[in-house]
Amino acid sequence: MFNSKKAYLLTLLIASFSFIGCESDDPVPENDGEVITDVILNFQELNASGTPTGPITTFKAADPQGIVVGGSPTIQSVSLMKGKSYQMKIEVRNSIENEDITSEILAEADEHQFFFLGTAFVGSGFLTYAYADPSGDLIGLVGKVTVSQSTGFNNAIMRIVLRHDLDKNFPGASNPNFENFVQAGGETDLDVNFPVIVQ
Amino acid sequence: MENNEPIEAAYIWVVEASKGAVTDETGNFTIKNLCPGTYSITIKYLGHQEINDSLELVDNSFNKTYRLEEESLNLTGVEIHGHRDAVQTTTAVTALYGDALLEARGENLGESLKRIAGVTTFSTGNTISKPVIHGMHSNRIMILNNGIRLEGQQWGAEHAPEIDPFLADEITVIKGAETVRYGPEAMGGVILVNPAPLFTKKESQSELNLLGGTNGKLGNIAFSHSAGSGKLKGLGYRVQGSAKRAGNVKSPDYYQTNTGMSELNFSGSLGYSSSKLGIETYYSFFNTSIGILRDAHTGNLSDLEEIIQNGRPFTDGSFTYTIDNPKQVVSHHLAKVKSHYHISENWKLNAQYGFQLNLREEYDRRRGDLNDKPSLDLKLFTNTLDLFLDHTHKNEFSGTWGVNLIQQANSNIPGTGITPLIPNYDMFNLGVYLMEKYSKGPVEVEAGLRFDLRSVQTARYVNNELQEADLDYQNFSAFIGGLFQLSPTLSLSSNLGSAWRPPNVNELFSQGLHHGAAAIEIGDENLESEKSFKWVNELEFDRKKLHLSLTGYANQIQNYIYLNPTGETVVSLRGTFNVYEYLQNTAFFYGFDFAGSYQFTEKLNGYAKGSIIRAKNTADNNYFPFIPSDRMDWGISINFGESSSAQTNKLTLSNLLVAKQKREPDFDIAPAPAAYALFNLAYQKGFALENNKLNLGIQVQNLFNSSYKEYMNRFRYFTDDIGRNILLKINYQF
Repeated sequence: MFNSKKAYLLTLLIASFSFIGCESDDPVPENDGEVITDVILNFQELNASGTPTGPITTFKAADPQGIVVGGSPTIQSVSLMKGKSYQMKIEVRNSIENEDITSEILAEADEHQFFFLGTAFVGSGFLTYAYADPSGDLIGLVGKVTVSQSTGFNNAIMRIVLRHDLDKNFPGASNPNFENFVQAGGETDLDVNFPVIVQ
Repeated sequence: MENNEPIEAAYIWVVEASKGAVTDETGNFTIKNLCPGTYSITIKYLGHQEINDSLELVDNSFNKTYRLEEESLNLTGVEIHGHRDAVQTTTAVTALYGDALLEARGENLGESLKRIAGVTTFSTGNTISKPVIHGMHSNRIMILNNGIRLEGQQWGAEHAPEIDPFLADEITVIKGAETVRYGPEAMGGVILVNPAPLFTKKESQSELNLLGGTNGKLGNIAFSHSAGSGKLKGLGYRVQGSAKRAGNVKSPDYYQTNTGMSELNFSGSLGYSSSKLGIETYYSFFNTSIGILRDAHTGNLSDLEEIIQNGRPFTDGSFTYTIDNPKQVVSHHLAKVKSHYHISENWKLNAQYGFQLNLREEYDRRRGDLNDKPSLDLKLFTNTLDLFLDHTHKNEFSGTWGVNLIQQANSNIPGTGITPLIPNYDMFNLGVYLMEKYSKGPVEVEAGLRFDLRSVQTARYVNNELQEADLDYQNFSAFIGGLFQLSPTLSLSSNLGSAWRPPNVNELFSQGLHHGAAAIEIGDENLESEKSFKWVNELEFDRKKLHLSLTGYANQIQNYIYLNPTGETVVSLRGTFNVYEYLQNTAFFYGFDFAGSYQFTEKLNGYAKGSIIRAKNTADNNYFPFIPSDRMDWGISINFGESSSAQTNKLTLSNLLVAKQKREPDFDIAPAPAAYALFNLAYQKGFALENNKLNLGIQVQNLFNSSYKEYMNRFRYFTDDIGRNILLKINYQF
């Protein structure tokens, strides 16, 4: 039989020695790689045979700080010519980390899709959109935008939504102007309203 | 006593009063609240001859020593229920054990505790649920795993307690403010999850639980084995483990996508006790992966509004066990050493040290390789040390004086690609307390006082800028309570306690987007500690066929911290978000719990229990969100067995009625769901197989497969609750 008093003191000793404080690690700055700060629309006129020709006009929506209270994006107006067709290439960037997110979207073509809504595309016939991604997938990184020849008005809103993790086979999801895109599941990565002016 | 050695855990039953007690380590037992008169008592202890005696109680107290003779016969059907760590408090206490715990097997801690009136859950879908006591949860209540305060990331609404209910043979809920006894944050109540005491003699007991459920194709297995040493008297051990797997849960009309879960838990303990000394070491490991309903993860406010309007997921889903992002992967290690030493007959010195490591990874739907990286990756170390001195002086004063240290270190593991939601921090808390109790006859009065000091140092990089903070808090808390036996059948307890809770790091430092919730949450570094006064009263009536208990309470909280919608929105390239900020204001909570049962005939029993809670932001004259609505659970059970048989054989039909929460805050993203009623059916049968015991249970939950939404489930915005579930539960004790 061992001495119980001794054992007790020993336990106390062990307990107090194990009470060596663990310290928290020094914090490390994180690269917020997922934040989208820039959405750039590159327009280039298409000739009669459907080949892009001439100079590229660029319109940008920028939110340099990402999602913060008080910050709001600055969005340029898109100006296009009546009756013309354009190739529209969308570029998505993170200027904070200087990352190109466009390639990430392309790499996950089966999980991403742009939808083109707002008064410019829905109900007005002001602009029409067709997917023209080189891979044949319906993504919307590359598309054809046609401006109506005869419109009763000269400005509208072009709402561009990027959905992530949606069911691309959902009935209606192949339509670039699919208003019920939420029903195809997934979540919104981008939802930007560009004003459009046509001359 | 045996050879003049005290016998621990012998069972004493007073026949006339239907009251029992279990002897403590010194072989003593107390049965209180008996009226003068003649009583028959029975004393049982495994392996010993039963003693039946008749005694006459004349005045207020009576002492007698009984000697138990060892018996070579194998006694069967003797149930020993250890209450060694019984809570000595004048606050309302309710425990879950025996048949009630058997029925709850397979459920998580929150769901199990819903069986106690006044306890509800705050849940995130059907797998994550946090217990709510009298309207309070998370950092306002405390959970003790075998005596150690469980320290995980409990601030998060979607962070369930990291504990396996299978390790408990008794789960106790204390409904009062218990800051003095257990430390800061025990404001709304305390939950004690306790294993059975270890064996101190040569004997062994094993238990196997097998469970299956149709909804989610749940499978659950749990095993435990306890034994005492024959060589060294007083040495005992236990090993225990459980594994659980479930797939997508089904609401009546559709599967909830990505709601599967898996869990793997283990615990072991080794102890030695002699008449003077007791040492126990304990280790528990909890590990879980939980899928989060895919449709609940929204990108911006319009996404959120669309699904709320739809009221259910856009797709019907299908069954799978696969857990995809968004998901949580959590593991928790807890180790402790506890010892006590009897300095003299009246004085006992106790020391308890606990080490905890909590690892939490939360994964979101992200792009590319980022899907393999957690969005939140936290590592939390906690050391706790308790030193306390107990004294007991017969029939007069007893009390506890102690010191309590908590040291905590929280780190964000780098590489998430997201600015951390909460900073890295170091916390140190020192508490000094004393409690004294005086008992005489039908009256027991207790009071206690505590002083706490806490310091917190935080550090985090936001936009490549180091932000540091150094915070100090201190507080006095106190309580006074009493227990009064008003008549042989009626007792009253009353407890008034102050409690406090320093603001949590998320309340102080949240800054930015709460992913998936389409909300921007802003903390406030200048928040002050919450301070509360809770007054709890419990009235208990016990007569042969009728048992009633009524608990009434009022809880006034100063500087109550809550997340308030500012009404503002932030517009970004990703869309619009609601902005919430942490504010503090005076809150007043009050309510009632009731529980009662009546034996109509030998075969037929009825019960009812329920709770009513009112909570108000008194300064703004507004309501708080996520306060449980009025509810009641009632049922009848038919006993098929012989009344003399110890084996359960009963069928219970119960009905849960939940009212609509009409007291909603001015702002909520969706109105409170409608009232609902659920029916449940349960059949429980016990078999005695020589020295072993087999319990079979069949339960049908949500019998009519009703579609409903619970106000306290955060996913009510996105989906109906779980549909019908048929469970088979096998419990074998050998």
